[in-house]
Amino acid sequence: MANKLNLQRQSFLGADSETALGHSRAALVGLGGGGSHVAQQLAHVGLGNFLLIDPDFIEDTNLNRLIGGTVKDVRLGTAKVDIAERVIKAVNPAAGVVKRLENWAEVTAELLDVDVIFACVDSIGCRSELESFARQFLVPLIDIGMDVHESNGEFSIGGQVMLSMPGKPCMRCMGLVTDDALAKEVALYGAAGGKPQVVWPNGTLASIAVGFFMKLVTPWETHKAIPLLLEYDGDLQTVAPSNKLVYLPAYCKHFDSLNELGDPFWTADALAHVE
Amino acid sequence: MRTVLKLTSALFEDLVQRLREPHGFAAERVAFLKCRPALSATSLLLLAGGIHYVEDEDYLDDPSAGATVGRSGLRKALQSAYMESVSMVHVHIHEHRGRPSFSRTDLRENALFVPDFWNVQPSLPHGAAVFSFDSAVGQCWIPGCSSPSGLEVAVVGSPMRCTWKVSNG
Repeated sequence: MANKLNLQRQSFLGADSETALGHSRAALVGLGGGGSHVAQQLAHVGLGNFLLIDPDFIEDTNLNRLIGGTVKDVRLGTAKVDIAERVIKAVNPAAGVVKRLENWAEVTAELLDVDVIFACVDSIGCRSELESFARQFLVPLIDIGMDVHESNGEFSIGGQVMLSMPGKPCMRCMGLVTDDALAKEVALYGAAGGKPQVVWPNGTLASIAVGFFMKLVTPWETHKAIPLLLEYDGDLQTVAPSNKLVYLPAYCKHFDSLNELGDPFWTADALAHVE
Repeated sequence: MRTVLKLTSALFEDLVQRLREPHGFAAERVAFLKCRPALSATSLLLLAGGIHYVEDEDYLDDPSAGATVGRSGLRKALQSAYMESVSMVHVHIHEHRGRPSFSRTDLRENALFVPDFWNVQPSLPHGAAVFSFDSAVGQCWIPGCSSPSGLEVAVVGSPMRCTWKVSNG
């Protein structure tokens, strides 16, 4: 049997969709509960090129949600990027996979070559920094986030998927990143215990994120605009466009300056080191 | 090394709208994309963040070309590049679908005036591009290189138009 992925059943996405997906390159920043789902689905749809970034190794507490992770991986302490690569290659051996066992800030030159960045990270600070980077270099970013909130002894699941498109409203415009939230996160830094996380909300959010990606890179339904922010109510199992969309400005006011684009330390000498 | 011009779909739509406005005598309009550079692992990127439009009075009445920009118009573009420390990419649009191409006049004029931007921003790459409604071709002058290289164009939006592969004309 040929190694080439047979995408006949998704040919409705457009005549050139297979080629577009095969030539596209996506970065997945974070390959835990959310990113591992995204990696698996992008492999199935035929994405040609992956940049996988995560400095972490699997732990036993990850097994409740990390797609592809096994008891053996926990015993061996396998890197999350290696697990994701294994999942991708098992579906599509022809996929190009570049792995970086580092923080994303260590591999920025490679991140500039991707068409889309998936932000599958835990902290508000990290997603804010990643968005700033993506805006600086005009890279669309798809962010997924879920949380479990405790109120009066009961636990509610919520989350969102956001498309941060250069020129359009950003996470600050949408209230996902606020100075108050960043300050609270800094105050809690180092506090013992991990955040509650479960597999099915991550799967829901990751599926929507992949749907966003498909709308960006294939000719499928291009006349229907993507809502930039979808909210997930895990208690009711519903997903809906955010009410915030009604009040958003058409354009972002936080990243609207020419001065914020590109390499601020540019000199022509940089070109001497490239072919 | 690839060279890629990136602009948002919002900027592209603004550009197309303004360039399609009729002029008193010029057959077409031109503008300059104001860009900042960056190097990726494989490419030189020109990231467009603004547009310098050539004003109505800065066109010359020259029937031999679609649009001819006078000395005052070029001086304003040079001044913008100098004051804002930006790479400049000269742009105009051919109103059709499919791959456009530079005319002989375009290629000759590009080679004459684009390197002039090195007089005010010698460390930055500069270029020229012609757009159709769904494609583009371009040329880029990179510091230290005597001849232009091809310029790819990516319009970042929904849908992404990141396959606008182009040659050096």
